[in-house]
Amino acid sequence: MYRLLKNLLTFRRPARHVLPFSVLFKKFQSILERNNQILEVIADMGDKLGGEYVFDRHYIEEATEKLEDLVFKLISDLSILNQHKNTELFLACEHIRQEVQKELSGKHVLNTGKFVIPLSELGHELKEQAGYKMANLGDIFNRLALSTPDGFVITSRTFLEFMQHNDLLAKAELAMGYWQTQDLAALKTLADEMQKRIFAASLPRSLTSQIFDEFDRLAERMQRRDITVALRSSASGEDGASSFAGQYETALNVSRSQLLDGYRRVVASAYTFKAWQYRLDRGYHEHETTMAVGCQIMAEGRVSGVLHTYAPHLAEGVMIANAVWGLCSPVVRGEKSTDTIVLDRTPPYTLRSLSVVDKAQRLVLASGGGTKWEDTPAELHDAPSLTPEQMHILAKAAMSIERYYKRPLEIEWTFDLQDRLQVLQARPLRYWSAPSPSEEQIGEATRNAEIVFAGKGFVAQCGVAIGEIFLVQNDADLEAFPHGAIMLARHTSPRYACIMPKARGIITDVGSPTGHMSTLAREYRVPTIVNTEVATSLLRTGDEITLDATQNTVYRGHITALDRFELIEEEVFEDSYEYRLLRRVLKHISPLNLLNPQSDDFVAASCQTCHDITRYIHEKAVEQLIHLSEKQEAQYLSAPKRLMADIPLGLLVIDAGGGTNCSPDARTLTPDQIISLPLRELLEGMIGLGMWCTEPVSVDLGSFMASLTRTFSSSMSSPREVGRNLAVVLPDYLNINLRLGYHFTIIDAYISAEMNDNYIYFRFLGGVTELIRRSRRATFIARVLAHFDFRVEIHGDLVVGRLKKLSLPRMSERMCMLGGLVGYTRQLDARMHSDKDVASHAEIFINAMNSVIGG
Amino acid sequence: MTTETRSAGPRPRILILDDEPIVCKRLKPTFQKMGYEVETFTDSASALARLRETTFNIVITDLKMEGADGMQVLMGAKESSADTHVIVITGFATLDTAKESYRKGAFDFVAKPFKLGDIVDCVKRIEEKQRGSGL
Repeated sequence: MYRLLKNLLTFRRPARHVLPFSVLFKKFQSILERNNQILEVIADMGDKLGGEYVFDRHYIEEATEKLEDLVFKLISDLSILNQHKNTELFLACEHIRQEVQKELSGKHVLNTGKFVIPLSELGHELKEQAGYKMANLGDIFNRLALSTPDGFVITSRTFLEFMQHNDLLAKAELAMGYWQTQDLAALKTLADEMQKRIFAASLPRSLTSQIFDEFDRLAERMQRRDITVALRSSASGEDGASSFAGQYETALNVSRSQLLDGYRRVVASAYTFKAWQYRLDRGYHEHETTMAVGCQIMAEGRVSGVLHTYAPHLAEGVMIANAVWGLCSPVVRGEKSTDTIVLDRTPPYTLRSLSVVDKAQRLVLASGGGTKWEDTPAELHDAPSLTPEQMHILAKAAMSIERYYKRPLEIEWTFDLQDRLQVLQARPLRYWSAPSPSEEQIGEATRNAEIVFAGKGFVAQCGVAIGEIFLVQNDADLEAFPHGAIMLARHTSPRYACIMPKARGIITDVGSPTGHMSTLAREYRVPTIVNTEVATSLLRTGDEITLDATQNTVYRGHITALDRFELIEEEVFEDSYEYRLLRRVLKHISPLNLLNPQSDDFVAASCQTCHDITRYIHEKAVEQLIHLSEKQEAQYLSAPKRLMADIPLGLLVIDAGGGTNCSPDARTLTPDQIISLPLRELLEGMIGLGMWCTEPVSVDLGSFMASLTRTFSSSMSSPREVGRNLAVVLPDYLNINLRLGYHFTIIDAYISAEMNDNYIYFRFLGGVTELIRRSRRATFIARVLAHFDFRVEIHGDLVVGRLKKLSLPRMSERMCMLGGLVGYTRQLDARMHSDKDVASHAEIFINAMNSVIGG
Repeated sequence: MTTETRSAGPRPRILILDDEPIVCKRLKPTFQKMGYEVETFTDSASALARLRETTFNIVITDLKMEGADGMQVLMGAKESSADTHVIVITGFATLDTAKESYRKGAFDFVAKPFKLGDIVDCVKRIEEKQRGSGL
């Protein structure tokens, strides 16, 4: 209703200054141009996450500044085109700008972040808000697909609000003074007083309601009302050089009514004399101390323990686990003797040694909350607490997590009553006393190693991987892919996502560092080199190699010194402030939320990211051009004409002068009345060749050729899937914007006898469908374009092809080919069943085209 | 398939100077793996002081910094030893600054952000040149 009213008002507005169409069309073209520039900057920023580039904060600032500038100008262009103020877009842009600025200034995190965040939204880029441990569990849960008890985090921001509300932060600052004068008695008194005051402190109601709401949502997800949770510290600094292991409190088996007390208990543990001293001793400032608190479903452990992924003090290449019956905390606290299990770090994770102790007691959940000791059944006393199967599951999970963090880790784990492995915590292991490989050794080790190939291809994700090659050629290979192997494949494909949690590394012959698989490799942090050209000819399944995807080198054999070097590296790239900042900034820039122009949400006020604004403006600009033409609101502009064609293309043609030969007042036109050469050729390809097939076509040549000759019945296609499409034409020029289903195609072409002026610009942006099919479609289009001499760039879904300076006949053939391509691609996703189909479809299409246009 | 061997002797030395610690952190392990002894600095005064003490085979320096800028470091390095090869990296690349760097004797000029591979190639070209001249 509102919209209707607004439209009416717009219509009745007094006549405004009417601009010539040429001016308005230039603005429209400028919108398209900026639209591309924005998408390219966004893609570039995403590529920087792979680690191949060295970038600093300045880059992030510069790139975001450039984007803000482009988006601002984009809105300004639209304002001229539609002669509105577009206030909502400017506000959305300003809002994004402010959010990005907050990220850049570092203020965002603690002053305006959320109070509670569910586990499903956590990842290491939220380290400041969620604390290190919970951010890690977020990665483990969301990215590595391992199991950890569901839950949420009560963030650092809540901590600061809570402390400030009770005037406790200023008090804590006193500690620095006591420490400097080494007045430990005063520090002890302060610590005791802080504890007391925190236990008695009140939480503002705005906070408690959010905490309880999240708790209730967790209970809902569990489909149980009486859930109990474990509350764990997730403090700042726990990821640094100090592990803080065992410094802070954990509250187990906490019910809803005990929740706030449990929270206070964990927070108070930041101010025990012991923990405070530890912190001050390591140079932490009070203002750096924040305590987020993880709140997770209480896992009832049958057998639990701690695993160190790296134990060079025992032997090279082993991990060590300690295990007991029941809950995990006795192992952490070192209260009871435990079974000790030593396993190989590499598959098949062979058991090196097992020592079993008498486990007379175990810690279990108490019915009224908390925990209690109970006697272990007699038959379990001397029984090994882990089965060989459990050891294997544990070892695999541990190495997946270590591979992700590129750090030796200490992992707390439990097998619950359903015998599922639950990861309770993972933190860096920093205190082994093994000698580190000196720089000399490392240089020596790599110099003397056999290089299989180096400097070939592109690094999609940096890192080092040691393992056996496993060649993947088909789906069966994917299923058989062994844990801990290095995947070798001819092409990249996002289908490999399924092996990424298992793979130590990925090498392909063909592929792009900006493609979908590379994006996934970055998400899973699997060291990856693509486009090596030679890998499958030099390597075979079973070859032992060392892949250094940071140095872009593949060595034959295991260079453990390199692995060790990587594990003890000062800082992992993904942990760097700049990496996490870029990820956080990109959250305000690249996700696309406005997907469907038909939905009610497709409004300026819903734009949350730069990508949203860009997408929205493109749609509006096309609509506006149609509107201008319909309402005759520009000088020298005839009414738009609907193309009467055999296919439901929904195409409106605006003749900017000499592009058609029908009367200026006509509201429809037929293909014969089109003078514009590029449009004529395009339609010939689209309609004349019968490429617009609505029925899914299988890939065999026979049925494909049959579909080429089939006449199209318009009743076969739902008109709803066709948007309002627009072409602006001159005799030798075409600008066409097509939205077919969820695909977007833009073609801008000039074709004349003057060869040097000729160009075709083609842009395809895929829409909502699963990642794998989108990627296949993009690959298909890129292959076809490249075959027909286009210069092609792929950034995820975005395929851009450029062609210049060919003769008129060759340009015409290629326009015709594009028509065929657009028609053919329209419903291609459904037919792309496997990666092989990409090649077959491309080949079939190219052959069919060649036979028609003789290319 | 090649196995590179380098004649035994003192390991080549590389000095990296950039006021953004991330650049030093990313470059250091890369060159360590190539067999270099690496020293990193985030302020030009300490780097210049170090250059007066010791000679380096290669210096990689940022251009725009507080205090002495990259050009001064470039000249300092060349004064310390004419054989030192200097690579200038900058996030504010212009044609003029590139020209000036080359005029003052820089081996190469690299705009940030750059690929690790690019700077590794650059260092390899220096190695080839040094081998060619018998150094």
